[in-house]
Amino acid sequence: MSHTFAAVGIALVVAIAINLIMMLMPKLLAPNKPVPEKLTPYEGGNVTIGRTWLGFKSNYFLYAIVFTAFDLETVFLFPWALSFRKLGTFAFIEMFIFIIILLVGFWYAWKEGALEWM
Amino acid sequence: MVNFELSLLSTEIIMAVLGLGLFIIGLILPRGSRKGMFSLALFATLGTLIYAIYDFFFSKNALFLQGMFIHDQFAGIFKIMFLVALLLVILSSKAYVGQFAAHRGEFYPLLMLATLGMILMAGAGDLITMYIGLEMMTITFFILVAYHPNDPKSSEAGIKYLVLGASSSAILLYGISLIYGLTGSTQIFSVAQALGSQLSPVTILATVMILAGFGFKITLVPFHMWAPDIYEGAPSPVTAFLATASKAAGFAVIVRFFLLMLYNQGFAETGYVILLVLAALTMIIGNLMAFPQKNIQRLMAYSGIAQAGYVIVGIIAVSTPTIQALENGVKGVIFYLMIYIFANMGAFAVITHVAQSQGSTEISAYSGLAKRSPLAAAVLTISFLSLAGIPPLAGFVGKFYLFSAVIDSGVVWIAVIGFVMSMISVYYYLSVVRVMYTGSSDGLPSVPVQGAAKFGMVFSMIITIILGIYPTPLAQMALTAASSLVK
Repeated sequence: MSHTFAAVGIALVVAIAINLIMMLMPKLLAPNKPVPEKLTPYEGGNVTIGRTWLGFKSNYFLYAIVFTAFDLETVFLFPWALSFRKLGTFAFIEMFIFIIILLVGFWYAWKEGALEWM
Repeated sequence: MVNFELSLLSTEIIMAVLGLGLFIIGLILPRGSRKGMFSLALFATLGTLIYAIYDFFFSKNALFLQGMFIHDQFAGIFKIMFLVALLLVILSSKAYVGQFAAHRGEFYPLLMLATLGMILMAGAGDLITMYIGLEMMTITFFILVAYHPNDPKSSEAGIKYLVLGASSSAILLYGISLIYGLTGSTQIFSVAQALGSQLSPVTILATVMILAGFGFKITLVPFHMWAPDIYEGAPSPVTAFLATASKAAGFAVIVRFFLLMLYNQGFAETGYVILLVLAALTMIIGNLMAFPQKNIQRLMAYSGIAQAGYVIVGIIAVSTPTIQALENGVKGVIFYLMIYIFANMGAFAVITHVAQSQGSTEISAYSGLAKRSPLAAAVLTISFLSLAGIPPLAGFVGKFYLFSAVIDSGVVWIAVIGFVMSMISVYYYLSVVRVMYTGSSDGLPSVPVQGAAKFGMVFSMIITIILGIYPTPLAQMALTAASSLVK
């Protein structure tokens, strides 16, 4: 049992070592001549004018959240649909309660304007 | 094929239906007329509380849904505790919630859903049920903490709580997965059986991780860093609920899981030593850090950390393996949490009132409060004295139960630390009282308390005094709950 994990351990050590070596090599080999221009954040472009912090719309995020809710609903609906004959009335009612809870959430999102663009 | 009694789940079902129902009502009502939500939420909670008390006394104990859920008096008394806290929060938050013009409708349903999560935690017989309850509570709190729409401090607190809460949940889940990997079960009784009395590095790791996850919720010392910032930034009623009910829920799961599940195995060696050290640290750091605070909600955060330390002392008493020690310890824990809720809710009702009428949570805003609002000043004084453990009040009885339980179990030094630290805590509590009674009230508005908030304050003050003079009924209830745990 443990010898199979020894291989994993060796792979882990080698993986870490390769990363370290690759990070160290440029330090040792590359010439190091820092000049002020080189150290600016945007070496290749123009200096920015004004505030660079921009507000961006979070509407995509709201859409994604609402989408995720229904996406997950499908995850639960699919196994339920496959086996609800076996599970009987109880599971049937239970799934409807679940969907109603989701719909209340959806109604809320709609009413509060999460689905309106701009 | 589904054989369980739905009636045993009544409290949970009522809370779920209430939460969603109020949510829908909030959607249907036009924006201007959502004031009625207050009385609706208040009386619905009162009704549920009365049912929970009935449930505590007259319903049978059972383990159902394949052991996923436990219905016993231990869960029952915690349900009462959460509902009392919810009731007092709703009472004290009426005027405060009026500020949230746009989102008034969601506040009470969210509080109720958080309570539902706590109730699930108290009754959980399975790590998964417990985790779902915990997440339900925590995620609702993320929203509530960030509830002030345009206050950067509140949003910052919300984000901080989200990030830290998520990482603590991750640690807890990792502990749970280790337990599952070791035993092949997530149910507490099967886990306890499968673990047996063996002690391996993995069980220690799992113990520590689960303790870290729960320790975050109850602000045990190395995991307490989030509390001051988040308590300061959150809206005052939410801070009140976070400081009392959320903490009580954390203790409910700690008692149930830590003691039952890990009781047989190395708990005596690992959990016990860790808890001893952490309890001492929690009491010392919580009390000492409270001294320099200028903001009352930060002060309450550190005071809450220290109080959590006292309660952990009761849990240490439990780890002596006799039934009587276990009952005494759990009785102390339950009793202390109950009186902690009343004292803290009294204090936070005043804090909410001042925050709402003066727009400040700095201690300097309390200057001369005794002249401007004698009732609020009196309630805050009584609550603080109870938290400090001054004799005629409930806090003293609670500390007496906790410390005598731990002394009976043979660990005297932790009780000594507790005594010394509660002496020290009198200073910072009284320094707020001094500001209220001797500070000048020049230039500060007169802020009389009215309506529901007044009732909430007077109610928690009276209960704090009565339980100090005549603690027997609550002590009896706590003992019943504790013995239902071991049966």
